[in-house]
Amino acid sequence: MRGSNRYISFCALALLLRATTTHAASTPITHGTLELIAENQWIEPGHEVYLGLHFQLENGWHIYWVNPGDSGEPPRVDWQLPSGLTVGATEWPTPHRLESPSIVDFGYESVVTLIMPMHVDRSLAAGQPIRVGAAMKLLVCSHEMCIPGKAQLSLALPVKSQPPPLDPRTADLFVAARKSLPLATPKSWKLSVADTKDSFVITAKVGHQTRHAVFFPLAESQIANAAPQNFVPLPGGFRLTLRKSDQLLKPIQRLQGVLAFSADRAYLIDLPVGKSGAASNSSDIGSAQFGSVQLQ
Amino acid sequence: MMRSTLKLMLIALTLCAASLVAVAKVGVGAPDFSATASNGKTVRLADYRGKYVVLEWHNNGCPYVGKHYNSGNMQRLQKQWTSEGVVWFTILSSAPGKQGYATASQENDYLAKMQAAPTAALLDPSGDIGHLYDAKTSPQMVVINPQGVVIYDGAIDDKPTTDLNDVPSATNYVSRALEQAMAGKPVETAATRPYGCSVKYSDATH
Repeated sequence: MRGSNRYISFCALALLLRATTTHAASTPITHGTLELIAENQWIEPGHEVYLGLHFQLENGWHIYWVNPGDSGEPPRVDWQLPSGLTVGATEWPTPHRLESPSIVDFGYESVVTLIMPMHVDRSLAAGQPIRVGAAMKLLVCSHEMCIPGKAQLSLALPVKSQPPPLDPRTADLFVAARKSLPLATPKSWKLSVADTKDSFVITAKVGHQTRHAVFFPLAESQIANAAPQNFVPLPGGFRLTLRKSDQLLKPIQRLQGVLAFSADRAYLIDLPVGKSGAASNSSDIGSAQFGSVQLQ
Repeated sequence: MMRSTLKLMLIALTLCAASLVAVAKVGVGAPDFSATASNGKTVRLADYRGKYVVLEWHNNGCPYVGKHYNSGNMQRLQKQWTSEGVVWFTILSSAPGKQGYATASQENDYLAKMQAAPTAALLDPSGDIGHLYDAKTSPQMVVINPQGVVIYDGAIDDKPTTDLNDVPSATNYVSRALEQAMAGKPVETAATRPYGCSVKYSDATH
């Protein structure tokens, strides 16, 4: 009797969990779950929709940014799409510094959603639902160990020739994902990068007092990831000195990456690297070009 | 905030400490070290002046290392290059209790089981040699020329994955560096990002 009561309460709990969980189709991965989601309830021929890869990781485990830093590797996806669909570049949220003795990686802990646009060709026939597949290669790590894995994800989407409403089960995740994306730098900012012997020095005139900034380099092997970034406040801006990587044997033309002021305020920068002293003017390219960094 | 400030201070302290000793860099002399090998012998790098020396950072629990041992790639490289007179040291910088740490007898068992053929496996549980070379990952690779100069530092090859299928099509940077240097040519790719698992150093700052 006790046993069956327990069984009933277990089932009730399971049902309750199922009912309160936004997504039923998450796939278990090493130390977490992963789900392929869409922002809208269906797709409309000739229009773009957003897909998302929603990671939920156990405490202490992380995945990596497009530049993983000193170790690790970013998740990779091989899209399986019916003809008429193409998936664009992944839009990477601002990463965190993951610090171990002597090394620093860039990535995400606990919950993160990577989003990407999917273009739907006008010629796609409405009526039949389509299926989007994603073959994922993953590396999930703690500070103690890394575990590689694979996941096969799938999502069925109806095709209708009318504008699709947001999917209430996923809309919040896309809102949160967009909030965590770095922004294009405001036109009024003046940014420059100087190449000194051992460092790159970013000088930023942003029109207000800034107390903190961290740079995440898009390319590997440009800056020493684990070196302290020397932040100096200036009137209306700041200077940030980044030690060069030992692996950097040739001069670089541009410094690209994310300049983060706080967890939810970060900017994409893409600046020509000037010789020491010769300041160059700001020239951000916005998210379009930066966004062309592909998940491979 | 407090914690991150503390962390930054610790990193700064670590860097200051590290900068007191010469850290290995491509194009400069390889810093000397001595270590106990798993075979019980004491190895001193300076004794191998006149030969090419390969340093291989190892952690038997790391899937990136597993890719190269389970495919037989690492053993093949060890056999090929030691047969050509190159000295090959596998270095274990994992701290006791951390992934990849092995005692001498555990490491000897592993070498036998994997049919690995380095000149010696060096036990570096303090992480001193790892820090001396600023080794960040396993399998990070360093190549030293007969004059004692570091001529390559970085990844084992150009495929930073854990997939065994990537081994045959990869360009091996270690072999490239040795071939080019032995032919009297400059090493084309002398420094790369050393992909893999972070080296499992002791949490205590050194």
